[in-house]
Amino acid sequence: MADTVQEFVFNLTFPFTRTLGSTLSTFSSALAQGQIIGVRTGGRVIAPPLEYDPDTAADSGTDWVRVGPKGTVSTWTWVPEPTNLHPLDHAFGFAFITLDGADTPMLHLVDTGSESAMAAGMRVEAKLKAPADRVGRIDDIIAFVPAADPSPSEGAGEPFVAPEENDITEMDAYCDLQYVDNASPTTIMWAKALMEGRIIGQKCPQCDRTIVGPRGMCSVCAIELDESHIVEVPGRGVVSNFTIVTPTPYPGQTETEPFARCSILLDGADAVIAQQEILDVPVSEIRVGIHVEVVWAPENERSAADIDNRSRGSGGDIIVGWRTTGEPDEPAARYLDRMM
Amino acid sequence: MAPTENDIAIVGFAQLPPERRTNLTESDLVLRSTREVIAQVGIDKSEIGFTVSGSCDYLSGQGFSFVQNTDAYGMVPAINESHVEMDGAFAMYEAYVRLLQGDIDIAMAVGVGKNSNSDPSTLFTVEFDPYYLTPLGTDTWTLAALQARALIDSGKATERDFAEVVARNRANAKSNPFAQVKGDYSVDELLAADYVRNPLRRHDLPPTTDQAAAVILARGKRAYDLCERPAWITGIDHRIEAHLPTVRKDITTSVSTRLAAEAAGVGKGPIDVAEIHAPFSFQELILRESLGLDASTEVNPSGGALAAHSVMTVGLIRVGEAANQIIKNGKNRTLAHTTSGPCLQQNLVCVMEGDQ
Amino acid sequence: MSHQPVAIVGIGQTHHKRKRADVSMAGLVREAAQRALEDANMDWGDIDTVVLGKAPDFFEGVMKPEMYLADALGAVNKPMFRVHTAGSVGGSTGIVGSHLVSSGRHKRVLSVAFEKQSEGNAQFALGGGKGASIGAGGAFAPFIRSYIQRSGAPEDIGWMVAVKDRLNGAKNPYAHLKLADITIDKVKESPMMWDPLRFLESCPSSDGACAVIFTDEDGGKAASKPPAWVLATAMKSEPGWYSGRDPVNPQAAHACAQEIYKAVGITNPREQIDCAELYVPFSWYEPMWLEAHEIAAPGEGWKMTQSGATALDGDFPVNMSGGVLSSNPIGASGLLRFAEAALQVRGLAEDHQVGGANLAIAQAYGANAQFFAMWAVGSSLNPLG
Repeated sequence: MADTVQEFVFNLTFPFTRTLGSTLSTFSSALAQGQIIGVRTGGRVIAPPLEYDPDTAADSGTDWVRVGPKGTVSTWTWVPEPTNLHPLDHAFGFAFITLDGADTPMLHLVDTGSESAMAAGMRVEAKLKAPADRVGRIDDIIAFVPAADPSPSEGAGEPFVAPEENDITEMDAYCDLQYVDNASPTTIMWAKALMEGRIIGQKCPQCDRTIVGPRGMCSVCAIELDESHIVEVPGRGVVSNFTIVTPTPYPGQTETEPFARCSILLDGADAVIAQQEILDVPVSEIRVGIHVEVVWAPENERSAADIDNRSRGSGGDIIVGWRTTGEPDEPAARYLDRMM
Repeated sequence: MAPTENDIAIVGFAQLPPERRTNLTESDLVLRSTREVIAQVGIDKSEIGFTVSGSCDYLSGQGFSFVQNTDAYGMVPAINESHVEMDGAFAMYEAYVRLLQGDIDIAMAVGVGKNSNSDPSTLFTVEFDPYYLTPLGTDTWTLAALQARALIDSGKATERDFAEVVARNRANAKSNPFAQVKGDYSVDELLAADYVRNPLRRHDLPPTTDQAAAVILARGKRAYDLCERPAWITGIDHRIEAHLPTVRKDITTSVSTRLAAEAAGVGKGPIDVAEIHAPFSFQELILRESLGLDASTEVNPSGGALAAHSVMTVGLIRVGEAANQIIKNGKNRTLAHTTSGPCLQQNLVCVMEGDQ
Repeated sequence: MSHQPVAIVGIGQTHHKRKRADVSMAGLVREAAQRALEDANMDWGDIDTVVLGKAPDFFEGVMKPEMYLADALGAVNKPMFRVHTAGSVGGSTGIVGSHLVSSGRHKRVLSVAFEKQSEGNAQFALGGGKGASIGAGGAFAPFIRSYIQRSGAPEDIGWMVAVKDRLNGAKNPYAHLKLADITIDKVKESPMMWDPLRFLESCPSSDGACAVIFTDEDGGKAASKPPAWVLATAMKSEPGWYSGRDPVNPQAAHACAQEIYKAVGITNPREQIDCAELYVPFSWYEPMWLEAHEIAAPGEGWKMTQSGATALDGDFPVNMSGGVLSSNPIGASGLLRFAEAALQVRGLAEDHQVGGANLAIAQAYGANAQFFAMWAVGSSLNPLG
């Protein structure tokens, strides 16, 4: 029985695509060709370039300048244990590096192998990915490494002539964040009841309204509801409203066919359980007024693993769904307004 | 002072105990903190003319997380309500501006952050420049460490100074029942620890905290109905600077803090107590200088952000702590500060005064 | 003195599209802001403070993007504020901006709202980053079904709104959808998305931004183009769920309108208000809001649609811009409504101008039809005389 504090791991992962606009496209397209550039604006060369002068918000313009590939470290730190989001899997430095030809530093990695090799004033040079692997993103520069020859970069500070059309206009930005939430006392209360084959609500002592599902408070009276406010509600009711969703594809979407979610006004409880699935009625025949009863998973197959703080009334794997009782439909008009 | 209808005060403050990991939801935390502050000032929720909260979807990992949090207000009948994706101190600022409209007398501002759901070493990568910083996994500790190194190289401070900030805040926190990290630590003991990001050690970094807090503000004479000695807000302002630390002229100082402090009138008189939100130890040194504080000001008697650091709540707690110095502790003029963004990008300064 | 008059002297918006492939996020917000500055005959340096609004950060995958956008919006060394009140956020962004002037805190305020939905996926974000997202349409479909039943409205009302708003959108150079050849039959025959809502009765997903510049009475009077005056603002919220709640007719929607009408002295909204921009992401929300905002009597809102009263040439035009049904960068959608109302009373709405519009209202709503933002704007401070 899952009666201890449970933790829920939620991976927020999504492949975002960023369009770059002309300034970032120019930078990206040049970088993919192996050239780092900055832009001269407000009397200084900013590298990597911004679309706007950060001091005045004026458009930066297109006075492109070749910078690097060598530069000088002004300030640095050291990452002894990289995370999954850092580009290198071994200890490395981060530094502000003022590239030859630039007036402002850029932030990037410095791969020296050891912390003791890091120093302000050190000369470093960009180590780029192989041309075929470059996508025009800032991490096309794998890292900066100590410069073999500290002399100034050739051509740095000279104008860069951008092509009329940039070949890179977008970048991928993969989001990969992990969250670990823990079941709140209210969620645990709800999950436990479900495991025992009971649907519970909490009845507000002030307004007498019953709320089904794990909320822990009355949203009308703003008072906390706890175990003492639990009321058992019946696993029978009437479909009071529904939504039929035609799923659109997106990364992480689990549905492909239209699906229905129903609100059910529970018999004699003056309370609605939302977002429920009817098992034995085709989606096209879902209607208001159907009598339904809950279908529990067999006791030995029940798991509270999916019942987290966000599911707010979801039956997880424990409530398989609801099925019709065979009683004649109720008049829709009597139920339709009970969406909640 | 004889308050005018445009004078606004903090009249109540409640915070929940900070926890490394609460098993409550953000909504639960909002309910408990708001119930407490409402009871403290002895009003009915229906007397609150405006309610506003500060929280952040990315911290808890839930889109529209603030929507569920509003369940805690009991919004029947409907209320005037708003939300900022900023620290509760900025919610307090919106409440302050709302009260200045003159049609309501009492407002409530809330901050809530269930920070333990996310990992601070990775989460804030998505708060930074999405083109130049996020793809490198640039983390908040790294940016702070770069700033700390620049501060050391400027000759303004040493690692020992950082450790002294930590030791003092943790010692101060011993008398704060709402501190998560507290105790007596020797500077040498602290300096013996390994670096997490050179020159920063674990103790130079903020703790991870789940917490909520709420304040009640009142306008004009109404404040005296709710509080014997209101903390009048005599100056408040906030400023932001360029996002990329690499394009700022000098990251060993905080221009935005200085500008906000000037606009809030910090220098118009002595500050008895300052509650400064310095997530990283060394930032307290930068902020003291940029706020224009001298040795006569007591800084962070609560232990500050190093004692508890619930992002989205920590700034509002600075406001509440500074207000309580006036409301409960007889101080005359106090300051609250909060910061946001990489290397102190954005800063809010609030000066409060008590009746003499 | 509290509550000083507020003038709107600059309005800008982007060309809204499914995907603005030609700009970064900064480029998108700057396009709107620069148009507003141009309209106000101002430069970045004239602005005292910036307010940014957008819907959940999951849309673009950037947490608190106002930090990264501070310099892009000229906010360096100034105050910058970030509002997020779900779907109503664009409206809230305008209201918070106007309050900074009416409170006497600032003289010139730039409010900007945006969404660059093509960076991510709206259904993903609305589903909290999980599968089986029911989306906004799925959430609102039951409310609409309930409205249709209780009002007795014929089924073609939704189709009529869909056609009317798209025809208006075709007149708006900035609109995402310009469906000049849309017909009732095309709407009726479009795929069913969230029964009873069809594809063409639903809003698009757009990239876009909107910017509004507020200033004080002196600034308004000195403006080179006619200003719009902010006559009243309101933000009202109610819980998203409680047993017996009626989301078709939210009490917060009534309270919001009542507060505005009282402040402006409106006693007969239908007669006294010249036009309205209402947040109608799904066609049926036009009649629903006409009733919940007390412009039409209960059960009568659909008759205004049916009679053509809400058309551009009707006696109570609604969504002259084409509305959310024609452009929907979610975070900006509310401010676009608020801006269009201001454009109308300034007389600058060009092909979608309502003749002689002196008093207009705009509204946005969010989450489970529970958060409402509204303002009334006038061609003068006292348009009712």
